[in-house]
Amino acid sequence: MSVHEILSSESELTHMIGAQQPIVLSTRIRLARNLRGHPFPGWAKAPQRAEVASLCLSALGRLPKFRRAHELRMEALPELERAALVERHLVSKELSGGKGGAALISRDQTVSVMVNEEDHLRVQVVKGGWHLRAAWHQAEQLDDALGTALPLAFSEQLGFLTACPTNVGTGLRASAMVHLPGLCLAGHMDKVARALGQDGLAVRGWLGEGSDAAGNIFQVSNQQTLGMPEDAILRHLSGWVRHVVEQEENARRKLLETEGERFVDRIARAFGLLRHARLLTSAESMASLSLLRLGCDMGILPEERRATVDRLMIEGQPAHVQLRAGTELDSDARDARRAAVTREALGSFPEPTAP
Amino acid sequence: MAKNVPCSVCGAAATVHLTQIVQGKMTKVHLCEACAAKGGAGDPAVFQLAGALGSASEVSATALACPSCGMTEGDFLKRGRLGCPDCWTGLAPILGPLVGKVQQGSEHLGRAPAGARSPEQMRRRLEAARREMEAAVETEDYEAAARLRDLIRELESQLA
Repeated sequence: MSVHEILSSESELTHMIGAQQPIVLSTRIRLARNLRGHPFPGWAKAPQRAEVASLCLSALGRLPKFRRAHELRMEALPELERAALVERHLVSKELSGGKGGAALISRDQTVSVMVNEEDHLRVQVVKGGWHLRAAWHQAEQLDDALGTALPLAFSEQLGFLTACPTNVGTGLRASAMVHLPGLCLAGHMDKVARALGQDGLAVRGWLGEGSDAAGNIFQVSNQQTLGMPEDAILRHLSGWVRHVVEQEENARRKLLETEGERFVDRIARAFGLLRHARLLTSAESMASLSLLRLGCDMGILPEERRATVDRLMIEGQPAHVQLRAGTELDSDARDARRAAVTREALGSFPEPTAP
Repeated sequence: MAKNVPCSVCGAAATVHLTQIVQGKMTKVHLCEACAAKGGAGDPAVFQLAGALGSASEVSATALACPSCGMTEGDFLKRGRLGCPDCWTGLAPILGPLVGKVQQGSEHLGRAPAGARSPEQMRRRLEAARREMEAAVETEDYEAAARLRDLIRELESQLA
């Protein structure tokens, strides 16, 4: 029951109409932490994982931030609900499909902890828009509380000890989810991704590792976790995100200048498709919603409609569509439901017009 | 590309071959179809880790094992994940060079849990924080600079 409650309740990412930003959809901080004297989840036997889960969950449950939090045991959830949690970025694919995984999600869904993912603990703070410092501040407080409540595996030389050498040290992965249709339309995205990669940042699709960039949405994060203090990691990411946002703004301005009516036409066509289609695949829906979001940013559609577009991006994902329908659906039936929900949501939208 | 190259992740015959150049360092990764399909080919971290693991397996000759959890060097090279926190000591000879490849430095300069804040750790952190504050002021990130100033004061008073 809890999952339905989570998915239907208002959250930072789905219902924050005024606070939304044109290019940066969300900011995320993740800290990897482990308990001293316990094997990592991937190497542990089932009883050892269970012991870690109960140690972590009882310690976390006492923290004020997790009072009345949602506690979810992955193995107790139906596949569809787990998939929807992954689509919401509340848990990772690895946790949802792994053994002995659990998650604690705060009421407002801004803070969550995954237990028995690749590491014993994965603390996550999410903020809508670009709020790196605020997210970090919250993660730091939680980390302090965690370090007091549980014996964390830490070495003077190597910092926080993790299952994978790519996370050791700070265990910090800071990321921004960015919507870059301008750079994609202009054909510059490869160049940008390469530049970021060469300076120690990873660029991924919106569902993380291995996913494609549906809807021109990318996740930019630091790769290195050792040898720099957290502040340097955050500043490095922050500098690049600011730069990417600038590049995206330039690309958009240029497109509008050079394409004029053709640019408005792109958005109007996407609108027409979403407004009238009877069968809408996930990919088609994301590609067109991306253009609608761009239209909201550029004054071609009213800015206050952006929240609806963002909500459709989240709720149009396969598991969300099926959960809403209350049953598993084959792909045609999913496409029909997705189209119906989209038509209804866009019914009250005005026609796209030149800014 | 030759057929007998093993997958950098699982050791099966690799069919996907990737090359990445980062900061002048070339990394080659070979993946079997299964690992490539799992998203390995699209994930930059795979480059980092698989590349480093590949060369680690070539270099090392002695078989190590973690005294706490029993994970051997071979287990680690196959899985790419350690068995327990003590592996960082038990398998240190192979982890050292690997960390040097995937990470920026070899020394932790960040936060520590309350119980683990030794004077040495705090001194290192203080130095790093001072350098960071200068950088923050330079880039006019005053929010970060203010935070760092507080951190520096806190560390100084704890060390005094």
